[in-house]
Amino acid sequence: MSLQLNCPNCGVRPVWEFHYGGPLKSRPTQDASAEAWTSYIYHKPNPRGDQKEWWYHRSACKLWFLAERNTQSNNVHTTQRFGAEESK
Amino acid sequence: MTDHGSTEGHSAGNGVQFTFDGQIVRARPGQTFAGALHDAGIHTLSRSFKYHRPRGLFCVTGRCPNCMCSVNGEPNVRVCTRKPAAGDVVKPQNAWPSVRFDIMSIFDKMHRLLPVGFYYKTMHKPRFMWPIFESVIRRIAGLGEVDLSNGGSEQYDKLNLFTDVVVVGGGLAGLNAAYAAAEAGADVILIDDQPTLGGHVQHDPGSIDVHELAVRYQIMAHPRIQTFVSSTAFGLYEENYVAVQQGNRMIRIRAQQTVVASGGWERPYVFENNDLPGVLLASGAQRLLQQQGCKFDGPIVIVTDQPIGYRLADQLKQKGMHVAALVDLHDQPQGAIEGLRVLAGHTIQAASGKSHVTGAAIVPTRGGTMQTIPCQWIIQAVGFTPATSLLYQSGCKLKYNADLDQHQVTEWAQGVHSAGAVNGYHEPLVCVKDGTRAGLAAANALGLLTTDLTKRLTQLESEISQSTRDCKPTASYISNSKDKKKFVCICEDVTEKDLCDAIDEGYANIETLKRYSTISMGPCQGKMCQSASIAICARHKGIDIEAVGTTTSRPPEQPVPLGVLAGQAPHFSLIRRTAMHHWHEEAGARFLDAGTWKRPERYTDPHDEYQAVRKGVGLIDVSTLGKIELRGPDVVKFLEFIYPNRFANLAIGKVRYGAICDEAGILLDDGMICRLDEERFYLSTSTGNADAIDSWFRWWLTAKPQWDISMTNMSTALSGMNLAGPHSRDVLRRVSTGDVSNEALPYPSVKLLDVAGVPAIVLRIGFVGELGFEIHVPSQYGLHVWNTLMEAGKDFDIKPFGVEAQRRLRLDKKHLLPGVDTDALSNMYDADLPWIVKLDKEDFIGRWSLNRIKERGPKQKLIGFKLEGTTVPDEASLIVKQGSLVGRVTSVRYSPAAGSIVGLAWVPIESSKNGDIIDIRHAGQSLKAVVQDDPFYDVAGERLNS
Repeated sequence: MSLQLNCPNCGVRPVWEFHYGGPLKSRPTQDASAEAWTSYIYHKPNPRGDQKEWWYHRSACKLWFLAERNTQSNNVHTTQRFGAEESK
Repeated sequence: MTDHGSTEGHSAGNGVQFTFDGQIVRARPGQTFAGALHDAGIHTLSRSFKYHRPRGLFCVTGRCPNCMCSVNGEPNVRVCTRKPAAGDVVKPQNAWPSVRFDIMSIFDKMHRLLPVGFYYKTMHKPRFMWPIFESVIRRIAGLGEVDLSNGGSEQYDKLNLFTDVVVVGGGLAGLNAAYAAAEAGADVILIDDQPTLGGHVQHDPGSIDVHELAVRYQIMAHPRIQTFVSSTAFGLYEENYVAVQQGNRMIRIRAQQTVVASGGWERPYVFENNDLPGVLLASGAQRLLQQQGCKFDGPIVIVTDQPIGYRLADQLKQKGMHVAALVDLHDQPQGAIEGLRVLAGHTIQAASGKSHVTGAAIVPTRGGTMQTIPCQWIIQAVGFTPATSLLYQSGCKLKYNADLDQHQVTEWAQGVHSAGAVNGYHEPLVCVKDGTRAGLAAANALGLLTTDLTKRLTQLESEISQSTRDCKPTASYISNSKDKKKFVCICEDVTEKDLCDAIDEGYANIETLKRYSTISMGPCQGKMCQSASIAICARHKGIDIEAVGTTTSRPPEQPVPLGVLAGQAPHFSLIRRTAMHHWHEEAGARFLDAGTWKRPERYTDPHDEYQAVRKGVGLIDVSTLGKIELRGPDVVKFLEFIYPNRFANLAIGKVRYGAICDEAGILLDDGMICRLDEERFYLSTSTGNADAIDSWFRWWLTAKPQWDISMTNMSTALSGMNLAGPHSRDVLRRVSTGDVSNEALPYPSVKLLDVAGVPAIVLRIGFVGELGFEIHVPSQYGLHVWNTLMEAGKDFDIKPFGVEAQRRLRLDKKHLLPGVDTDALSNMYDADLPWIVKLDKEDFIGRWSLNRIKERGPKQKLIGFKLEGTTVPDEASLIVKQGSLVGRVTSVRYSPAAGSIVGLAWVPIESSKNGDIIDIRHAGQSLKAVVQDDPFYDVAGERLNS
């Protein structure tokens, strides 16, 4: 892994400054089904292709942000701050 | 710029002396070890991996395994590209008693015992014999040994560079690519693995004018080109990140564009005894002849299907050497040289000789009578395999081109260009053009090209597309004989027959064939055997070469010492020291590493430190704890969500123990949560989890932007110290103007107080089970407050205590340590913290899982145990029940307070009741321990509340 991420605060930095936070998921409500919860907790979608995921700028500004990355080519298409319209 | 070493070949001067296997050898100036050894008539340099066959110089480019020796204790040095220093000690490897007479060459006669995949077939039965076989095999098969006698004193370091364009390969194509890109305005780094720049053209100038060549060397003076020779680019990673080894240094280059001009690896011809010393690749022979000033005594036979074979014959004749015959695989000779005996339409079947070539068996390609030509040297020139490893690694797509008999790039990875022989161009003038084109293309991608240069690029592209790729392969580069000793892989001693046998046994896919036969897995990483192994696979299966495919190319492209990857100067490792660190040092503390922190493990005897806390007063540095301040109207909401605990009802000035779990209900960390004000909370985390909890909080705060909270990490802004013991209040009273009485500051509570004249957060808590105060102050004043407390405590015989005493003290109280007593499978209920989980809260992290765990009922539990006797079992000792493993000990110490050994352990729920007996295994002994629900000290908590 030697890809680079464009941190919304700091700009383009090598991946080793960051911590991978897993795919963006929507957290079920407490009354959701067991399937929904086990899927949320244990299942990783692991797509071959684009994935929206969390990254954390651990070694610098400590921002959690979202990146859209192709898991096959490791090309990062976009990075953005987590917006108010999205929910976890 | 600098750092490109000597660009000259051999020259006059005195030279240096070194020893090879005890024999003194003299090298002329500019010579490598190999040139000097060749001059001295030393032609057996190593013994082969499996059969211990004699091996000598073969590729002379630092790629094949044949010349690997130990130099001054450094193993596996390719002496063909290394220049000697005076007094160097070179020793052959994998041979005993000497490389000339190696007793283990007996294995050459026993190859039936070592068939392909022998470690899967023989020697594993009977089972008890395997360890004996294994030790024997490890002794006979192998390369150099790591010299441990110098105690790992080798120094390694890293160099990080950033540039516009990195060019891999300093041959004609690479030089011109670098020059074109630099002239266009790009900063360029040029990497070459040979000691001198120029590539093949140095020893095989072909149509390149020598004057022209001299001009090319001027390129290196270009102010925008930085050059590294004797440096191997072994990995090309995403986004043009290049890993380079230069001696003991790893250079990591982040470029915008990469030009791979890595050239080709000369491919060996596969015939009987093709590994004998005296058999060489043409470019290797040219290097010895042209660059090292070496001679070849005795008759030479050249085997070729390329123009380079004829050029070599010419070079040899000009230097007065005797070419007995040139064997041209083509029916029509590819050239003619006056006085040269050319055998067109012939091929070589075998080399004869025991420890060196004595003759070549030549047959017509279409069958016929064999003739033996006496000779001392067999030099083969049957073309090049493009050095495509880096291109594969970068994600380029390659396709087999049958006309050229090589794989070619059809789709380039982003920012990656290829140039020269790797594209199939071998004609020097075409390489110059293709290199210039690639350099301009890289500059173009950077937006640097002027209109003129853009025109030039277009023009070059069209010229090159019209030029022919001049690699003229013959149908085969494998002789037809059925002998067993036709080596395809000289690294691992894999023969053509081995490969065919493996395919017959079902390992027909090139990837499984590789793993089973170990072909291409040796030191050359497939550079010598890639083409032949694919061709043999295709021929034996009767399919096209394209259908065989290639094995996956992964970094490193060339073996790299682990030290280069892992090593760095110690002063680059992060070390964190608390504000009181130097005091601890002066007090004689022994430190332990807690993550990057240094913590005092003990000052004197931990038993005395323990007793000081139990009977008098002690002081411990807890600055390494994570400390977080949260402010805002929604902090309570946040804490109620993050923790399974309840915090809505936590009064101002009160402290509560809290534990954090994840959504699966697994305990992550614990700590103290203080309410300093209505909307202001201060909390601590354990040392080891400080960063993880910081990140966890930030993640949830990001995901819940509707909550109005501001978070400040105070971990290093504040120093912390815990004053504990029956006399702790007496000490604190002396240094604080505030009221620290039991009424004003009861257990568990918090107050902002003045301590030693410094504003402090004082927590009345008791991790160690005594009356105690945790004092957090700005870290600038940490040492001052520490000193003041130590001074004030003198009358009470205050003692500093370390982590070991603290662990004993907390164990008395059955306080768990997350990550020590728990792991990634320990949920809140099993960790015996059910009282923390408030399932009646609407929502919190882990609620859904904890609900399920509660319904299901616990399966295991973290319990306390008491053990009679004097034998303290090791931590991580196993707990056994009816012959089965059922649990493990996580903490255990002798407790002076309990008068026995006490500990914490994970046991199945059916053995977890108060009074149950558990069976701990320690050093083959069975120790019976009794489960205890109560803490081992101060059950009623009187001392905490005193």
